[in-house]
Amino acid sequence: MYILGIGCYYHDASATLLKDGVVVAAAEEERFTRKKHDVRFPINAIMYCLKSQNITVDDLDYVGFYEKPFLKFERVLYQHLEYFPLSLKTFLSSIPSWINQKLRVMRRIRKTLKYKGDVLFIQHHMAHAASTFLASPYKKAAIVTVDGVGEWTTTSYGVGDGNNIHLMKHIAFPHSIGLLYSTITAYLGFSVNNSEYKVMGLAAYGIMDRKKNPYYKKLLKVIDIKEDGSFRFDLRYFIFQHADRMPSKKLCKLLGGPISSRDSEMTQRHKNISAAVQLITEDILTNVLKHVHKVTKLDNIVIAGGVALNSVYNGKILRNTPFKNIWIQPNASDGGTSMGVPLYIYNTLLGKKRKYHLKDAYLGPSFTTKQIKKFLDSNKIKYSTFKNDKELVHKTVELVSGDNVIGWFQYGMEWGPRALGARSILANPCNPKAKELLNTKVKHREKFRPFAPVVCEDDALKYFDCDLPVPEPTDYMLMVYPIHKKWHKKIPSVTHVDGSGRLQTIRRNQNHLYYDVIKTFGKKTGIPILINTSFNIRGEPIVCTPYDAYKCMMGTGIDYLVIDKFLVKREDNPRDMWDSEKYAKD
Amino acid sequence: MKQFMNGIRQGFGDFGHTIATIVNTVLLFIVYIIGAGLTSIIAKIFGKRFMKTSLHKKSYWTDLNLKKEKMDNYYRQY
Ligand SMILES: [Fe+2]
Repeated sequence: MYILGIGCYYHDASATLLKDGVVVAAAEEERFTRKKHDVRFPINAIMYCLKSQNITVDDLDYVGFYEKPFLKFERVLYQHLEYFPLSLKTFLSSIPSWINQKLRVMRRIRKTLKYKGDVLFIQHHMAHAASTFLASPYKKAAIVTVDGVGEWTTTSYGVGDGNNIHLMKHIAFPHSIGLLYSTITAYLGFSVNNSEYKVMGLAAYGIMDRKKNPYYKKLLKVIDIKEDGSFRFDLRYFIFQHADRMPSKKLCKLLGGPISSRDSEMTQRHKNISAAVQLITEDILTNVLKHVHKVTKLDNIVIAGGVALNSVYNGKILRNTPFKNIWIQPNASDGGTSMGVPLYIYNTLLGKKRKYHLKDAYLGPSFTTKQIKKFLDSNKIKYSTFKNDKELVHKTVELVSGDNVIGWFQYGMEWGPRALGARSILANPCNPKAKELLNTKVKHREKFRPFAPVVCEDDALKYFDCDLPVPEPTDYMLMVYPIHKKWHKKIPSVTHVDGSGRLQTIRRNQNHLYYDVIKTFGKKTGIPILINTSFNIRGEPIVCTPYDAYKCMMGTGIDYLVIDKFLVKREDNPRDMWDSEKYAKD
Repeated sequence: MKQFMNGIRQGFGDFGHTIATIVNTVLLFIVYIIGAGLTSIIAKIFGKRFMKTSLHKKSYWTDLNLKKEKMDNYYRQY
C-alpha cells in the first residue's frame, strides 16, 4: 500500500511516500527548484518519491494533504472582519492567491498528478503531531505541537497512545509563540520564517539573566503567561493580524527604537532583545511542558512545529521538566507535516500496525556510483577514484586535518533543515581560524553565528554535557548542550560564546563512512569531532544532486569534493562562472 | 516577422494581465467594502468578536478535543 503526503502553499513545501507503513522517500521542494523555502506545489518532490519506488500515481492508494484549506481560509476571513478596514491592503494582496491556488488544491492534485483516487485532508496540528509521535519509538507519549499558526491552532497538547492521537487543548490564533519569535525576528531586521535561528544564535551574546536583561521585563508586557503555560498577547503590540509587517509602533516604542533595517549592525541592544525573546519562549515552553506532564503523567514527550527547531531550548527540556525521554521530528516545521499525513492515514485512520521509527534522515534522492561517474565524465571533470572505503576515510581525514574545506556528498539527501553527513561541508574544529576560513571561503555568514560540531554518539558525553542516555533528537542536530569547559579552547570554532554547541551525534549504522571519518580524525588529532555545516552557499538550499554539489564547490572556496568513491579537487578544474557572492543573501 | 508577431503577442499578453489585475483589484475592493465592511460593522454592533482577545482569564487553554473522526470527515476540506 502506497500513501503520498503533501504539504505546500505556506512555507517549506514537501512530499513523503509511505510504503506499507514505512517511509521510503521524503524531500522538500526547495532542494529541486533551488528556491529556499519554496512553497509551491511540490511536484518535483512528488516525482522523486514516485520514481524512487518505480511507481506511478496509479499505484497510490491515498493522497493526503497537510491541512484543511477551508478552515484556514475561515480564519483569514475572520481576521479581515475583525480588523476592517485596517486589513484592506492584505485583503487585496492575499485573497487572489487563496482563490487561484490555496482553495483549489484538490483540483491541483487531480490535474497536475492526474490522480483519480482518494484525497484526505488532515488538520495541520494533527499532521504535526503524527509526524512526531508516529515516527517516534514510543508506544505512548505526551505530545506538544507549537508553530506560528495552522488553521486556527498555534499550540496544542495531547496524548499519543498506540495508533491513536488525541489533541486535547489548544491556543488559537493570533496568540502564538512562533509568531512572537517571528515578530522579534522582523523587529531585528531579519527575514521572517527563515532567520528565527539567527535570533536564537544571537541570544547567547545578550544577557541571559532574567533579572539583568532590561528587555525581558519589557517583553513580558506584550504577553500574559499563566502558570499552566497558556498565554495570550496584548494585541496592541502586534500588527501581523491585519498588516504585512509584524511589530506595531507600540512595540517599537517599548523596545526603544524603530524596526532595524536589513543589514544593520547587531549592537548589544539587539543581542539583549534576542536574549529576552529566547528567555520568554523558554519560560512559556517550560510552563507548557510541566502542565502537560501534570495532565498526562507520562515520561515520554514528543514535539513538533517550527518552535521545536529551537535547539537551544530543546537541550534544556529534560533538565527543566519532569519528562524523562524526548523525541522530536527532524523536520519539525511545516516541511515535516507531509510525513505526518500518510502515517496518520495508515496507522490511525486505517488502523494498521505501526511499523515505522525514523532512525536516520537520509530519505532524499541518492545517486549510484555509476550515475556519479557518468556525471563527472560527461562534464570532463578531473577526479580520482578511491580504491576502497579505507582509502576514502584516510584521505578525507588527511585533507580535513590539513585545514582543507571538504564538500561531502554520500547517501540520500537529508530530510529537514540540517545537513547531517549526506550533503555536508566538513572542516577542522581545532583550527582556531576555521570559522573565518569557512566564512571567507564558503558561507559568508554573519560573524555571530557559530558552526556546529559532529561527534560519534559513543564519544558525545566526553565532550558535551548531554542528557543521559543521549536523546535521539541529538542525531538530527536538534539539541544544544554545554561543551565541557576543558575542551573550549581545543575546539574553539564550534564553541559558541556561551560555551555551548549545537552538536550532531552520529551512529555507525546510520552512515558508516561519515562515522569512520570522524573516528579516524580523532585517532589522528586526539579530537573525534568535525565541523559539519550545510553544503550550500548563503541564500541557497542545501545541494541535492552531484551537479549542485560540483557547482557549489566551483563557485566557492571549498577545496575538495568527496562524492561517493570519487575525489574532486577544485584547483584541478576550470572555475565556473558561478559567483557565490552574487547570491549571498538570506 | 516571427519575432515581431511574438512581440505583439507578448505585449497583448502583458496588457491583458495588467487589465485583469486592475479589474480583480477593483472587484476585491468592492467585495471588501461591502462584504467584509458590512458584516464587520453589523457584527460589532451586536458585540460579536472574531478573535479571542480578552486578557486576565485564569487559563487560556481551550478545548480542542481533536481525535480520530469518521472517515468521511477527512474527505472534506473543512
Ligand atoms: Fe505548522
